[in-house]
Amino acid sequence: MGTIESLWLGFSVALQPDVLWYAFLGCLVGTVVGVLPGIGPLSGMSILLPATFGLDTTKSLVMLAGIYYGSQYGGSTTSILMRIPGEASSVMTCIDGYAMAQKGRAGAALCIAAVGSWVAGTFGVIMLTLIAPPLATFALRFGPPEYTALLVLGLIFLAYMSSTSLPRTLLMACFGLLLGTIGIDNMTGHFRYSFDIAELGDGIGIVPVAVGLFGLGEILSTPAANVVGKVIAPKLRELLPSRREWRDSAMPIARGSVLGFLIGLTPGSAHIISSFLSYAVERRLSKHPEEFGKGAVAGVAGPESANNAASTGAFVPMLALGLPTGPITAVLMAALMIHGVPPGPTLVNDHPNVFWGFIASMYVGNLMLLALNLPLVGIFVNVLRLPYAYLYPLVIMFCVIGVYEVNHSIVDVWIMLIMGVIGYGLRKFGLDPAPLVLGLVISPTFEMSLRQSLIMSNGNWTIFFQRPIALALLAVCGGLLVLAAVSAIRSRKDWRAKLAEAEAGES
Amino acid sequence: MTLRSDHVVGGAFVAFALVLIAASGDLPVGTLSFPGAGMMPKLIALLLVVFGLLLIIRGRESAPLASISWADLPHALRVVAIAAVAIALYQTLGFVITMALLLFALIFGAERQNPVYALGFSLGVVALTYFLFEVALKTPLEHGSIGF
Repeated sequence: MGTIESLWLGFSVALQPDVLWYAFLGCLVGTVVGVLPGIGPLSGMSILLPATFGLDTTKSLVMLAGIYYGSQYGGSTTSILMRIPGEASSVMTCIDGYAMAQKGRAGAALCIAAVGSWVAGTFGVIMLTLIAPPLATFALRFGPPEYTALLVLGLIFLAYMSSTSLPRTLLMACFGLLLGTIGIDNMTGHFRYSFDIAELGDGIGIVPVAVGLFGLGEILSTPAANVVGKVIAPKLRELLPSRREWRDSAMPIARGSVLGFLIGLTPGSAHIISSFLSYAVERRLSKHPEEFGKGAVAGVAGPESANNAASTGAFVPMLALGLPTGPITAVLMAALMIHGVPPGPTLVNDHPNVFWGFIASMYVGNLMLLALNLPLVGIFVNVLRLPYAYLYPLVIMFCVIGVYEVNHSIVDVWIMLIMGVIGYGLRKFGLDPAPLVLGLVISPTFEMSLRQSLIMSNGNWTIFFQRPIALALLAVCGGLLVLAAVSAIRSRKDWRAKLAEAEAGES
Repeated sequence: MTLRSDHVVGGAFVAFALVLIAASGDLPVGTLSFPGAGMMPKLIALLLVVFGLLLIIRGRESAPLASISWADLPHALRVVAIAAVAIALYQTLGFVITMALLLFALIFGAERQNPVYALGFSLGVVALTYFLFEVALKTPLEHGSIGF
C-alpha cells in the first residue's frame, strides 16, 4: 500500500464519529492541562491513562496524543496573558508574548501563537507521514546488537543535549536503568530487589514514577503563597493581528517548524530545547534584535511553532523504531503496550489501522485545536481564576486516582509518593528527572538486547563493532562524547550553558 | 572547603550504589556468553559510582549547599504527611470518604482557607469526579470496605 492509500485508510478511521470525539476530548483536556501551571502534559496523560483502558488502541492513542499536542497550544495562553509558562516549552513565549499583552496586543499574540502552532503541527504530521514508514522498514534490519547501540546512542544524545552537565544526566539515566531492573528477571526468573513485596515482582511502572516525579514533585516545591498572577482576558474582536504582524511572523513560523521537527527527532526535552533555540535564531536573524523582550512578534511565532513541530517530531522514533525520546512518548508507548500493540518497526504493517488512524487524527486534531484555542480563549482563561490553594489538592487527588487505577495497586500509589519526594529533592539539587524516566522505560529492552547480543555472539563483545549499523551508531556516540569532552575542557560557554542560564533565570 | 550541592548528590549516589552492590550478593553475574540476573544491576551500579565520583570531583562548579533555599520544605512536609495518611486509608475508606478528607485537609488544614468553602469544594469535586469516572467513563473507583 502506498502512502496516499494508507493515509486514506487512516482518515477513514480518524473521521469515525467516536474517534473524532476522543480526539476532541484529548485536545480539550490537553489545552486545559497546558493552561494550568504546575500540571504538565505528562501528568495529564498519566492521570487519564487508566480512563483509556476501556477504549480500543486507536482511540486511546488518539486521545493521549491530543493531550500532548493540545498542551503545547494551551501552554502559550498563560505565557502571553499572565507571564506564567503553563508548560516548560512556553517559557520563551512569556518574554515577548507578555510584552505584547502589556501593549494591548494580547489577542494578536494568542492568534499568532495558535496559527503558528497549527502550521508547525501540520508540517510535523506531513513529515511524520513521509518519514516514519520508510524508517520503520529500515529498522526491520535491526537485531539485538543494533538495538543496544541505538539505546546507548539515545542516552548519550540525551546527555549531550541536556542543559545540565553530562555526568548529571547520565547519573539520572543510570538511576532510572537501575529502577528498571527491579522485579522478575525475564531470562532466569530471579527476583531482583522486590523485598518480598509481590507487586514489585512485575517491576516499577512508568506511571507512578512519572506522576510522582513530575506531578507531585512540582506541587511539593510550589507553595500556594508563591503562585500569584493577574489574568488578562482579551476580547474576540482583538484577536486579529495586523498586516505587519502577519508579515513579521511568516518566516519565524516557517523556520520554527523545520527547526522544531528536526530537534523533535532527537531524545531529550526536544520541545523545550527547540523553543529556546528558535528564539535565539530569530533574535540573531532579526533586523531589529532590540525589539526582542519588548514585544517582538517573531519571539512568539518562532518558539511556539518550534515546540509544536518538536512534539510531532518526537512521534517518529516512537512509531518507527519503538524508541521513546522522552517520558511523554514513553507513556504513549505504555498505552500501546497495555493494549497488546508493540510499538516499533512492525507497527506499520501489523496494525495499519492504529498507525495510519493515529497519523490522520493528528491532521484533524490540529484543526480542532485551532478552532478551540482562538474563540474559546476567554473560557480557558477562566480556569486560571481558581486559586492555586484549591487547584493543587485537586491535582493530588487525580494523581492518586490515576496511579491507583492502572493496576488497582496501593503499592503503586506509595511508589508515586516516594517518587514525589525524590522529585522534590532532585529539583532542590538541580537534577533533571526526565532522564530517570527515560532510563526506566528503556531498561528492560536495553538489558534484553544486551544479553541477547552477548548470547548470540557466544560472549564476544566485539559483536557491536562487527555489524555496520551498530558500529555506525556507536561511532556517533563516540563523536558526541568527544564533543562534550572538548566543550568541558575548554570550559567555554556553548549554547547548552546559555540555555541552562535562561532556564534558571525564568524559573 | 565549601560543601557544594554536587558533593552531596555525588556522595549520596555513590553510597546508594555501594549498598546496592552489597545487597545484590545473591544475584548471579553469569558469564559473558550467558549473562546472569545480576550482570545488568551491578554494571549500572558501577556506572553510578563512576558518575557520582565525577560529580564529587567537579563539585566546585555547583552551587554551595548553604545557598539552596528550603523555605518550601514545611509546605512539602505537610502535603506529604496528608497524602500519606490518605493513601494508607484509601483501600479501607474508599474513594469518596478518603478523597473528601484529603481535599479538606489540604485546603483547610494546610492552606488555611475558609472551612465552609473548603468543605463545599471538597464534597462537590468528589461527587463530580465520582460521577465522571463511575458513570461517564465506566471506570470503577475504589469502594473500600465500607462500600463506596
